[in-house]
Amino acid sequence: MKRTIGSIALSALLAGAVAGCAAGGGGTQGGSESIRIGLAAPISGTQAQYGESFKNGAQLAAAQINEAGGIEGKNVEIIIHDDKGDSNEAVNVANKLASDRSILAVVGHFNSSATLATAPVYNKNKIVQISPSSSAPAVTDAGEYTFRVITTDAFQADYLADWSAELGYKKVALIYEQSDFGLGLLDVYQESAKKHNIEIVGAEAYNPGDKEFSIILTKLKEQQPEAIFIGGFYNEAALIAQQAERLNLKADFIGVDSLYSEALLSLGGESVNGLKLIGFFYPGGDNEKATAFAEEYQAAYNSKPDTYAAYAYVATAVVLEAIKEKGADRESIKTYLETLEGFEGPTGVISFDENGDVLTVPSRLTIQDGEFQLYQ
Amino acid sequence: MLLQQLINGLSIGMIYALIALGYTMVYGILKIVNFAHGDIYMMGSFFGLFFMKELHMPLYLAFIFSAVSAAILGMIIERTAYRPLRKADRIVPLISALGVSTFLISLAQLLWGTEMHPFPTAFGSKTYAVGSVTFSEIQILIFILSFVLMFGLHLFVTRTKVGTALRATSMNLTNAALMGINTNRMISLTFGLGSALAAVAGILVGIYYNAVYPNMGYMAGINAFTAAVLGGIGSIPGAMLGGVLLGLVETLAGAYISTQYKGVISFSILIIVLLIRPSGILGKKDINKV
Repeated sequence: MKRTIGSIALSALLAGAVAGCAAGGGGTQGGSESIRIGLAAPISGTQAQYGESFKNGAQLAAAQINEAGGIEGKNVEIIIHDDKGDSNEAVNVANKLASDRSILAVVGHFNSSATLATAPVYNKNKIVQISPSSSAPAVTDAGEYTFRVITTDAFQADYLADWSAELGYKKVALIYEQSDFGLGLLDVYQESAKKHNIEIVGAEAYNPGDKEFSIILTKLKEQQPEAIFIGGFYNEAALIAQQAERLNLKADFIGVDSLYSEALLSLGGESVNGLKLIGFFYPGGDNEKATAFAEEYQAAYNSKPDTYAAYAYVATAVVLEAIKEKGADRESIKTYLETLEGFEGPTGVISFDENGDVLTVPSRLTIQDGEFQLYQ
Repeated sequence: MLLQQLINGLSIGMIYALIALGYTMVYGILKIVNFAHGDIYMMGSFFGLFFMKELHMPLYLAFIFSAVSAAILGMIIERTAYRPLRKADRIVPLISALGVSTFLISLAQLLWGTEMHPFPTAFGSKTYAVGSVTFSEIQILIFILSFVLMFGLHLFVTRTKVGTALRATSMNLTNAALMGINTNRMISLTFGLGSALAAVAGILVGIYYNAVYPNMGYMAGINAFTAAVLGGIGSIPGAMLGGVLLGLVETLAGAYISTQYKGVISFSILIIVLLIRPSGILGKKDINKV
């Protein structure tokens, strides 16, 4: 009996290990007849949920092309590699993808730190890397093969500072993630706030994955800010809003488009009502592509897409568009992207500037009665 | 502000203490560090979520059922991953523990997905203000429940026959067996108790932060392990003291120095304490076993 239990557990562990490998390898056995695009995303680790959105978004873009007959009769295949959200692991993944000549372009990575770490690898191997979500200003200069479909944090933070001034805030506190992403937001927001005579009454950092915010919120409460700017992701934003409510801290919250997710609503509950944010992906507004994408996503995965699923979808769709127009070749994908203008997708109309940065205008959103709505 | 920060710190500290008890009890008896313990805490939190959301149990029943489920899980892990390796070198069960940890995280991701889940209860968000200090229902529950459980554990270990057998086993496994104690059963019991406490902590944290997710055991596990070492690993009152102390130090460091450095500061204190008292604050003197 003892032995049976032992062997069951052992085989379960082995099965898990095999399954893990399969997920990492992502079906490398696909025939040479297919169009192969790499996806480098945090499938496991603390950012796994964003990796999940990436996977779903990218695969939806591929599935739509395949259903319509593929590109010149060839099916599109997404080769998924797990970078665990870790810069070192990301470089390993980048080396694997870049050295595989059958991979035409790579969609990834998720966080700016990983994208910056891997950019030299992709640029050396002359393969396009298109990040759905890395918005740190430094990505602008990462190399001519590095593109992204999200605007820079500099743009977003600047835009938010303007908006804060319009809302009449005089005293603002900042809570930001201790990362390239958060620090980028902090710098630009502080800079622009100065121009608008907004006083920054406190700036507190947290580490990605932190759950305990009552310490910094208790500190900020003393300063009586009118608004708190959140430079981070939706999970933390939900916790911040909730813990602020428990501490009786009455301030408006304002934040970047990374907060746009159903999870913010479900985790934050009533405490996120009134939170203001900007969004590039907003289904239900004027952008028909966004509404259509949300419906197709819902049909495919039975859940609502977040911002990252939409960005990953756009990044993949842009690459596939390039292949359709210019052929299945690494170099021509790059030349196509450099000249791309007015691509309509769920995150708005996008064009790339000479640095591979995207230009697009966001919507102003707020949360009311547990739903995202256009801010009027 | 100080008073508010102390309340914040005490709430986290109590949770660390509850989890630390599992580390310290297992170490006390087997001299191994059960690195899967943080993930049992995570599973306990998910069990609570499951019982409340799918089976619509009230909160108190969810506490009981997930504590029992986690206890069973802990005992199964001991049977399958540690018992066959008991005679092996001490590094072997350590590797096995890491394997179990990865297995549990992957299992939770498969069963419940990678995203954060809100805890389906309205309990806990009500706040009470006394002057400028506010505390929430859930903080009160954390204080009361942790205190009752720890006090209960202390009574169980010191005042009952089984508790005495447990202590005998942790003093010397072979001798305890020679005295007619079923040591395997005692070891099972240790894993069960530790896991049940971790599950209670898991639900409390689930409500406190309104967030349950597969990776939640990692940092909580590291902090609780630190608390156990700080207090003196192997010592039950040590784990309680270590947990509360770590929570307070972390909070005060975050409040008066910088939240970015709260990890640096609390781990520096750990190192300093270990330099002065290598066996921890309440640990026993002989540490040759490490």
